[in-house]
Amino acid sequence: MTDVRRTVDAVWKLESANLVGGLTRLVRDVGLAEELAQDALVAALEQWPSSGVPDNPAAWLMTTAKRRAIDHLRRTERLERRHEQLARELAQPRDVEHDDVLRLMFLSCHPVLATEQRVALTLRLVGGLSAAEIARAFLTTEQQVAQRIAAAKQTLAGVPIELPEGAAVAERLSSVLGVVYLIFNEGYSATAGDDLMRPGLCQEALRLGRLLAELAPDEAEVHGLVALMEIQASRAAARTGPRGEPVQLHEQDRGRWDPLLIRRGFTAMLRARDLGGPPGPYVLQAAIAVCHAQARTAADTDWRRIAVLYDALVRLLPTPIVRLNRAVAVGRAHGPAAGLALADELLADRALRDYHLLPSVRGDLLAELGRNAEARVEFARAATLAKNAAERDFLLRRADELGPVAPVATLGRAAADFLARDDLDASTLRSYGQTLRRLCLALGDRRPLESLTGDDVTGVFEVAWGDAAAKTWNRHRSAVRSFGAWAGRPELGDGLERRAESRSRVPGLADDQLSRLWTVEAPVRERTLWRLLHESAAGVRPVLSLNVEDLDLAERRARAGARWVTWRSGTARLLPELLGGRTRGPLFLADRRPGPARMRPAADLCPDTGRGRLSYERAEYLFKQATRALDPAGRGFTLRQLWSARGA
Amino acid sequence: MRYLMMQMATGQAPDEKLFAEMGKFIEEMTAAGVLLATGGLDPAGTRVTSEGDEITVTDGPFTEAKESVGGFALVEVQSKEEAVELARRFRRIVGDGESRIHQVFG
Repeated sequence: MTDVRRTVDAVWKLESANLVGGLTRLVRDVGLAEELAQDALVAALEQWPSSGVPDNPAAWLMTTAKRRAIDHLRRTERLERRHEQLARELAQPRDVEHDDVLRLMFLSCHPVLATEQRVALTLRLVGGLSAAEIARAFLTTEQQVAQRIAAAKQTLAGVPIELPEGAAVAERLSSVLGVVYLIFNEGYSATAGDDLMRPGLCQEALRLGRLLAELAPDEAEVHGLVALMEIQASRAAARTGPRGEPVQLHEQDRGRWDPLLIRRGFTAMLRARDLGGPPGPYVLQAAIAVCHAQARTAADTDWRRIAVLYDALVRLLPTPIVRLNRAVAVGRAHGPAAGLALADELLADRALRDYHLLPSVRGDLLAELGRNAEARVEFARAATLAKNAAERDFLLRRADELGPVAPVATLGRAAADFLARDDLDASTLRSYGQTLRRLCLALGDRRPLESLTGDDVTGVFEVAWGDAAAKTWNRHRSAVRSFGAWAGRPELGDGLERRAESRSRVPGLADDQLSRLWTVEAPVRERTLWRLLHESAAGVRPVLSLNVEDLDLAERRARAGARWVTWRSGTARLLPELLGGRTRGPLFLADRRPGPARMRPAADLCPDTGRGRLSYERAEYLFKQATRALDPAGRGFTLRQLWSARGA
Repeated sequence: MRYLMMQMATGQAPDEKLFAEMGKFIEEMTAAGVLLATGGLDPAGTRVTSEGDEITVTDGPFTEAKESVGGFALVEVQSKEEAVELARRFRRIVGDGESRIHQVFG
């Protein structure tokens, strides 16, 4: 029995993409296709122990799934003649089309889905991983993965399954490549947990990449990505030392690099190059990886060429991480001072605020320049920020290698002492704690208090709270001033101006922003909420407090407490879809049921599904996320702005 | 996990149909992203033995043809069962004979 179970698992792993891909084409619904495939799998588990594993297990599964598809369509009578057509196709033994799996990948990486949904769905549908396996790989719960997958399938239910054409191909393909590389990176540099690598994820990503290279052989970037992953994977064995600590590229034992994977990487790179055209980001990154792989020793590395490649990459992909890597390359090619100058530019980038590699890189460059005391502080700061245990230990060792600790008062110590006073009430303590934690994170808690300047503090404030509300800024400012006075360094807060706390109205959205907003792909709940806020004069709270039974659809109005909320055609069009037959309970529902620990009043729960009422905070967060791309400042808008845009 | 699949030589030259089917199978394994490397081996081979300081090089062919390896495939899969499943498919294509699967460490 166990043997059959394992054989079934193995067949599933090898065939699930073909199976689900083929079924998706037939039933035109990826969620249904997966259910049918799973049903067939269950049937295999029931029948194979007694009947034996069939000669062609994949074909058996496909036939079984198709039979069920016909039954299903007959039962639901959704498409009258569809099942006849299917019945005809059933006669053909095996009809997986070349594009089936590609179509499936495009679907599971569809831009309407959130990134973590794309990852989960791709691993599930194309990789054949179970929810439990995905949860293990991403250190989350099985339930959460299952929810993500269910939500993703629901979103995809209305999405056409056709392959994109023309210009859309490149765009959609880059989403697929992004997801594959994300999976690879999650495995290659595990962002959390005790291990540095999760090889299973790397291998899965490589498999997906190799598969994609066969499905879309004419896309240079696909081969670039495969080359990049093969070469990075070739170093896996050399990346960790005996104690599990990370070994940096230039210190790795190159004899442990896997020559087979390097050769495969070079081959993929040649395929990319043969296709011609200007190199894209993956091809450039692969070219950099090739440079490293070609050097017989670390000293042979052609850093000048790598620096040039990074210059090109930064133009295509000016992300903070790429800029940081470029600083490393320039540091090697043109000396640590040049590298440090580039790394220092990144200090003001809020995306890297809590990223441990920035202080780690600066520590390296400072140590090379002989500025050991500063380097030491940087490594210690990097260790505080690192989320991975192996990496943290390594960084602390690096800090310790740079000479003995002078017995000085450190920022971390002082902050702890300051907060340990017993004359502060709880809320002040919490507020001060926030400010000082941020200072310690940004400046390093081993930083000697003596060396701290007002400019350092001002710098942290600009990055952390530069665009925060005046009130927030002033709150943190007074915390720092209080700390400075206590520590006998009152000048620390000198660079911080008090900000005027005005009550000015937030400008509403401009017309063109509004018209672009209506084209944003978002779930129907969001689209309805936005429309309703825009079309009604009501505030966010009254709108979120609406219940289904309050609605008067015919009159396009609803009672919210003592007043009426009214709407126009945009909302009216969306409402039936949002309601989906519900007759009672909150109009806008949260994505899930509230946990047992946080029960809510019955009026805030949907009597049918048990889901809670959508909160202001959540709605605001989602709106901000959705409108990032529309906001020239890149921060996203607030719901109040939407509402106040009405008169504009 | 990597597995080296070796098939023992049968002494018979493969016909064109077998070549075509093998080609298709290899393509399929490549497209599934599991095949790392594959190749056929010269059945004659060369034997190198050592005894004390003496190293002897003997050119094949050798008498026990069934013991020699005719070809190999290096695959990367998540479990032994997947490797076995691939071997099963391979055996169905080539007919009677023997394959061996070894996990590759390191």
